[in-house]
Amino acid sequence: MNRPLILCGLALALLGCGSAPTRAPLRDYILTGAKPDHLFVIDAASRSVASDFRIPEANGWVGSIATTADGKVAYVLVNRMESIAGIDLTTGKQVFRADLSQGNERVKSFFGINVTPDGKQLIVYELPTLLELNEYKVQEPRFAIFDTSAGLAAKPVRQFPAPRRVHMILPKKDGLSFFALGFQLYEFDLASGKLLQERGVRDWNRPDYSLPDVLAFWPVSEPTGVFSTPTYSMHGAGEGKPGVQRTSLMTLDLGSGALSYQDFEDTVALIFSTAISPVKGQAFGVYTQLTKIDTVKGVLADRVDLAHTFYTVNLSSDGKEVFLGGTTCDIAFYDPDTLKQRANMKLPGCPDQSISTMRVIRR
Amino acid sequence: MNGFKPTNKKAELLLDAADQGHVKEVVAMESVAGCATTFDPGWEVDPFGGVASLCQPMEADLYGCSDPCWWPAQVPDTLTTYPNWDAGSASAWNDWRELDAVFPKK
Repeated sequence: MNRPLILCGLALALLGCGSAPTRAPLRDYILTGAKPDHLFVIDAASRSVASDFRIPEANGWVGSIATTADGKVAYVLVNRMESIAGIDLTTGKQVFRADLSQGNERVKSFFGINVTPDGKQLIVYELPTLLELNEYKVQEPRFAIFDTSAGLAAKPVRQFPAPRRVHMILPKKDGLSFFALGFQLYEFDLASGKLLQERGVRDWNRPDYSLPDVLAFWPVSEPTGVFSTPTYSMHGAGEGKPGVQRTSLMTLDLGSGALSYQDFEDTVALIFSTAISPVKGQAFGVYTQLTKIDTVKGVLADRVDLAHTFYTVNLSSDGKEVFLGGTTCDIAFYDPDTLKQRANMKLPGCPDQSISTMRVIRR
Repeated sequence: MNGFKPTNKKAELLLDAADQGHVKEVVAMESVAGCATTFDPGWEVDPFGGVASLCQPMEADLYGCSDPCWWPAQVPDTLTTYPNWDAGSASAWNDWRELDAVFPKK
């Protein structure tokens, strides 16, 4: 009978009895890469660099960043699209490495990497080319699956054929399948590589609309678990009618698999990437303007000019701040209601982020 | 392909592909030895026929185009052919004077 009291006494000494140990509240951190080999971890609230990790053998090139929600390891496409480095976000050490090219087969992954929600498998879209003495032979593309515990000389545990022109891998929330986005939206079984379904984009079946133009290179689905990208198409053209170019927001729910397209304006401005806010009815897009979209009414809500072009947009976990990144060496922080800039921080040394993905983790 | 006459071996192969009904295979090729097959004009005109919707300023977009070999005719291809073009020049804004023109390797 006395034992619990003894334990309580011990706990009282260590932690304070009668109350559960308290954890520091979770904070939002922004991940971004920069030339030539930086992986920055930025404390969003204090607008400060928490870590500046250097990626081994990045070869002057830091691209797509894949990570899990807990943000333990970031998988970064480096070495001119030929290697993936897994960087422990606590220690900065490289804990995973897959060099895709082998022998005379050069393999590049055109932005197409991602990690399953449990962090155990890395999915890579591979574009192999045989470099022969007097010619290059472009080979069929394929998916390669890596075990993320494979260490620094990781080899694929399985490979299977892939369609051409894929540039985005988006694992489904249940971890059983993944989406591959390119000319079409494909869904593949992760274990077998079987094509489960093929939907839009090229065959998006929207009467009176032309084929859409989609540029989707930034695998951002946080904070809502919904991936989004702008699409552009001509509406109402034909038989002497010029039609009107329309901008639409494509959304793909990585939990349910629901796919939708929502027009919100005639195309009067370019948007490179978008992100869905956890605040109902809000989405944001960025290029040389910051665009706010009302997804309830399907209209443009607001737009402001930016100091320069940004490629990527992301949001705080509560939707109360918009982050802009990519291109040059600064991260901009915007108020989602007024679209006024709250802060702008420069990365130390001012290295360009270029095409690196800006991700947000919470830890 | 009417009106076009092949002048080299590769172009002849393209005509063969057309004869055999494989044009879509050619059109759908994603990479040419690692480069994007982007045929839309770049850095000359924006989708609206002007220049206001090009990236601003161009330094913001410079490495975004060279890194993925996006417009290899306009920007040196650092993905495959000129990997050291921007070595030591991490900031296009600050280091653009260090970036040279490139020429075909002999």
